[in-house]
Amino acid sequence: MALVALAVVMFVCSLIGTESVSLKAVFSGAGTQAAVNPDYQIFVQFRLPRIFLACLVGAALACSGVVFQALLRNPLADPYILGISSGAGLGVIIAVISGLDWMLWGRSPIAVFAFAGALGTVWLVWFIGRLTGKFHVTGLLLAGVVVNALFSAIIMFLTSIAKSQQVYATIFWLMGNMTEADFLVLWIGVGCVIGGILALFYISPQLNALSFGEDDARSMGVNIARTRTIAFAIAAAITAVAVSLSGLIGFVGLVIPHGVRLVFGPDHRQLLPLSGIVGAIFLVVADTVARIIVAPAQLPVGVVTAIVGGPFFLVLLVKYSRKVSWLK
Amino acid sequence: MSGIIKVENLSFGYTPEITILKDMSFEVQPRTFLAIAGPNGAGKSTLLNLLCGTLVPKSGTIRIDASPVESYSTEALAGKVAVVRQEFVPVFGFSVIETVMMARTPYYGPMGFESKADKKIVAEALEMTDTIQFASRPLGSLSGGERQRVFIARALAQDTAILLLDEPTSFLDLKHQVGIYDLLKTTQLEKGKTIVAVTHDINLAAQYCDETLLLGGPRSCLPFGGRQNRIRADSNYLIGKTKDVFSPEQIEKVFGVRIFAGRVGQEKFFIPLGKFAKDSRQISNKPDGSE
Repeated sequence: MALVALAVVMFVCSLIGTESVSLKAVFSGAGTQAAVNPDYQIFVQFRLPRIFLACLVGAALACSGVVFQALLRNPLADPYILGISSGAGLGVIIAVISGLDWMLWGRSPIAVFAFAGALGTVWLVWFIGRLTGKFHVTGLLLAGVVVNALFSAIIMFLTSIAKSQQVYATIFWLMGNMTEADFLVLWIGVGCVIGGILALFYISPQLNALSFGEDDARSMGVNIARTRTIAFAIAAAITAVAVSLSGLIGFVGLVIPHGVRLVFGPDHRQLLPLSGIVGAIFLVVADTVARIIVAPAQLPVGVVTAIVGGPFFLVLLVKYSRKVSWLK
Repeated sequence: MSGIIKVENLSFGYTPEITILKDMSFEVQPRTFLAIAGPNGAGKSTLLNLLCGTLVPKSGTIRIDASPVESYSTEALAGKVAVVRQEFVPVFGFSVIETVMMARTPYYGPMGFESKADKKIVAEALEMTDTIQFASRPLGSLSGGERQRVFIARALAQDTAILLLDEPTSFLDLKHQVGIYDLLKTTQLEKGKTIVAVTHDINLAAQYCDETLLLGGPRSCLPFGGRQNRIRADSNYLIGKTKDVFSPEQIEKVFGVRIFAGRVGQEKFFIPLGKFAKDSRQISNKPDGSE
């Protein structure tokens, strides 16, 4: 059901854009070298990768939001809470400022720096969190918040000494965008994210038990250390993939899990796949809006997710909160 | 017949300097209802956490069904021992039936879903605890007593021989306190469970529990004599038949309060007397009270 909805949304959104595209023309093929078929080119080379990228990023952020909320037992948790965002941002600004114009297999190294920054920071936070005791949730959260603040300060410092063009590139990245999508990178990303989500689905019964606290989960026969490590590593990895491909898109990872939970309940076996699909739908729509609303210019999609998602979530919140206990 | 729980020379402390539990040895026979009582800080919950493997002894061993606790995998131990802890309501609104079903997590199929057998066990647990009537409501919407019954249902759905409870009746009113103990006693008698409950309520323990382990605490001074149970003379705990363990003298000594002990028919009861108790001199069972 939900997958069908996703397919429909992807199809509809692929037809919407500043240039109108006729499907008939698309199916007539790429055209010849001399007479390129513009419809085909726009559709296959620009729209489709972008829509797949939006799906990938939306699903990854929503699923890792679910996992972080469960692991930290905190409804305010999102994929960025343990420093992934600022770590990735730091990686990017270092790449930009150091004037890296070398190419990695013919691609800009920004994504690689973002990925390395994101994972490095999560590892740092996890490591500090462990020093505070046996996986103390509060210790981990505080370490995340402090590292986030520290890295944000460094980012601001670097921004203030950077040249204006570099600043623009960084800020555009920080706001999140879907413009850079290369087929090979995209398929690698899709593979990572789908694999990660399947693995998370596999441990979703254990995530349910973990919501009751570690002692309870253990006495119900859940191997805490294993579940926690797998969930944490995979959630961090798919977030890092999403962030390095699209920049910082806020809101999806926080709001989609809550929205799905409000409507369908908190059972992770259902919550996790549904959040992935709803997150994908949401980001495809938001990105379509970002493409067309100020055409021919484009908005950063992060702006759209917050502006569209915020009020929508508030409506859900008010409508369903009377039925749901965690708000009391 | 040897005990289903067997504790040998158990010592434990959270820091190397302070030992909370010192050289304890006791056995719990199958189908026994054992109370663990004692003042705050005596190590009641600590002992419970040792019994279910959450804490690891500093020295000594705890055997469940003849094998040391640490030799079990998490899954295997969850098939032997179920635990009801002091209330913890998760931030997300799981329903009653979802909560109880979680007890079956280790037995889910490869796709992570419950089997028919799991559903049957859960239905029985809901039935037995009388929680089936609100099975689809979220936990947060229940009263304290209802919620405690749900957690007991979850422990029953683990289908274990041993049930450990940490203060199952704190926060509950009189009716619900009695209700919980009735439920526990029923599972002991009908299902043949071995139940170990940490409790502050010595009167309920006296009414329902076959045996009692009274912990004196590290500062309590009071060596219990070994009269009843062949316990070494310098140990600071006492285990035995509840009626032997709960004497006014022992309770006064361990808790450091004056006690009025009375009897209605077969049931003994104990009332603590504070400084401002009216006519406390007259009703005290020990006029020369040991202040």
